[in-house]
Amino acid sequence: MWIYDYRELIHILTISDLRVKYQNSILGFAWSLLNPLLMMLVLYAVFSSVFQITQKQFAFYLLTGIIGWRFLANGSTAAMSAIVGKSSLVTKIYIPRQVLVLSTVLSCFICFILEFIVLSLLLLLFGINFSMDAVLIPAVFIVYLGMVYGLGLILGALYVYYRDLNQIWDVILQIGFFVSPIIYPISRIPAAYYPYYMLNPMTAMIQIFRGILLDNQLPTVPAMATIIVAAAVLLKAGSMVFKRLERRFAEEI
Amino acid sequence: MISLRKNKSEYLAPISEQPAVVVENVTKVFRIPHERKYTVYQHLIGLLRGGDYTYEQFHALQDISFSVKRGETFGIIGPNGCGKSTLLKIIAGVLYPDAGAVKTNGRVAPFLELGVGFQPDLTAKENVFLYGAIMGLTRKEIGERYEEIMEFAELKRFESMKLKNFSSGMYVRLAFSTSIQNNPDIMLVDEVLSVGDEAFQRKCSEKIAEIQKKGTTILLVSHALDTVRQLCNRSMLLSGGKVAMLGETSQVVDEYLRMVGQQHELR
Repeated sequence: MWIYDYRELIHILTISDLRVKYQNSILGFAWSLLNPLLMMLVLYAVFSSVFQITQKQFAFYLLTGIIGWRFLANGSTAAMSAIVGKSSLVTKIYIPRQVLVLSTVLSCFICFILEFIVLSLLLLLFGINFSMDAVLIPAVFIVYLGMVYGLGLILGALYVYYRDLNQIWDVILQIGFFVSPIIYPISRIPAAYYPYYMLNPMTAMIQIFRGILLDNQLPTVPAMATIIVAAAVLLKAGSMVFKRLERRFAEEI
Repeated sequence: MISLRKNKSEYLAPISEQPAVVVENVTKVFRIPHERKYTVYQHLIGLLRGGDYTYEQFHALQDISFSVKRGETFGIIGPNGCGKSTLLKIIAGVLYPDAGAVKTNGRVAPFLELGVGFQPDLTAKENVFLYGAIMGLTRKEIGERYEEIMEFAELKRFESMKLKNFSSGMYVRLAFSTSIQNNPDIMLVDEVLSVGDEAFQRKCSEKIAEIQKKGTTILLVSHALDTVRQLCNRSMLLSGGKVAMLGETSQVVDEYLRMVGQQHELR
C-alpha cells in the first residue's frame, strides 16, 4: 500500500507544508486563527444588529460553522494545486502522486484540528461544557478527512488539465458557503426546500459539530449516514478520476 | 518494490538470474494538438465555434524492446530528439507507455535531474531526508546514510544552512551525493555524471566504479561518447524513436559516429 510505503514522505511533506503556512512560528498559527475570528465578528455584528437573528449563543454558533466549513474550503483549494504546484515531483521522478494530494490535505487537517481545539477552549472559557458525546468527534473528523481527500483527488487531477478550475471552484465554494447553515439557522429554510437543503453533506457536517459542541446532542443517524455516504462516494469517485487522469500528468503539467 | 529492498537476502538468489530491466514493445505517442486548450473556458468556446480538436501524433518511441542484465551498465545513445529521455522516463514510471510494458526487478532510482524535490527553504539536512523519503526510504534508513552523504559532499559544516544560500557547486554536490548514496538496485542516469570541480568529478567516477562493482544495474543516457565507451558493456542506438542498433558498446558508438558523419555529408 502506497500510504505505508511512503509514510515518511507524507510525513515530511505535511510538516514542511505546515511550516511554510505558519512561517516557522507559534505566532504564525495565531495569525491564521485571526481569519475565522474576524469573520465571525463581522458576521456577528451584521447579522445580530441588521438582520436581528436571535439564535442563542449566536457568536459561537457562527464560529463553529465557520471553522467547520474552513477545512472543506482550505483543504480542497490547497489540494487542487497539490499536483501542479509540485510539478518536479511528477515529471522528474516517480512517486505515487496521491502522496502529494494526501499530504496537502493532511496539513490542512492539522490546522483544522488546532482551530477546533482553540474553539473548544474558548467554549469552555465561556462556560459551555460539552458532554461525553465529544468522544465522537474523532470519528466525525476521520469521515470529514475522507470527504475532503476524495474531493481533493478529483480537483487536483482536473486542475492539471483545466487551469481555470480554481476560478470556478472559488465560485462554487462561495455558493456552498451560503447554501450551508453557517450564518443562519436551519429553521429559516422554507419547508418546501428543506428536503433538498438536507442533501448537502456540509449541512449535516456542521449540524453534527454544533450538536456536539453547543447543544450536547448526539449526531442523528440520518446526519451521520449523510456524511459517511458522501465521504465514501467522494473517495471512490476521487480515486477513479485520479487513476484515469494520472497517466498523462507528466505530459500535461 | 519496497519489499524487495527490505528482504534483499531472501530475494537475491532467484532474482539475480532475472534481467533487471525488461522493455517489451514499448511505444509512446505524444499528442500535439493544433490548438492547445488549457482551460474550461477555452474548451467551451471551442465547442461553440465547432471546435478544433484535431491533433498530430508524434511517435516518440516505436516498438522498443530490449533487456538489461543484473549488474550490467547499459548505454543509450542517439541524436537529440531520438527518444532517449522519453525511454528513461517510461522506465522510471514517470510517463506511461501507450503500448508495451516495462518490467523492473529491484528499486529504481532515476537521475533525470539532480536535486529533484529539493526545497530552497529547508536546510541541507532536511533536504537529504526529504530526498530519501522521495526514494521511499524510512527515516531510520536515511539516518544511517546521512553521515556518509554529508562526508561525500564535503558539506558537513553547512548541514544546517538553508539550501537557498548554497552556491550552485555546493548544491550539485549535495544533490549528487544524496542520490548516489541511496543504494538503488537500478540507476537511470540522464547526463548528470559530470558535476562539480575536477576533484569532485574524480570522486564521482570512483564512486560510479564502486557502484558498478557492487552489482548495481545502470542505464546511462549520454552524449559523452567517451564516458559511454568507458562505462558501458552494451549499448543501444536510438534513431527517430526506433532501435537502430543494439550490441557491444564500441560497435554501437562507431555506428552512431558513421551515421552522424553520413548526415553531415548529405548536407
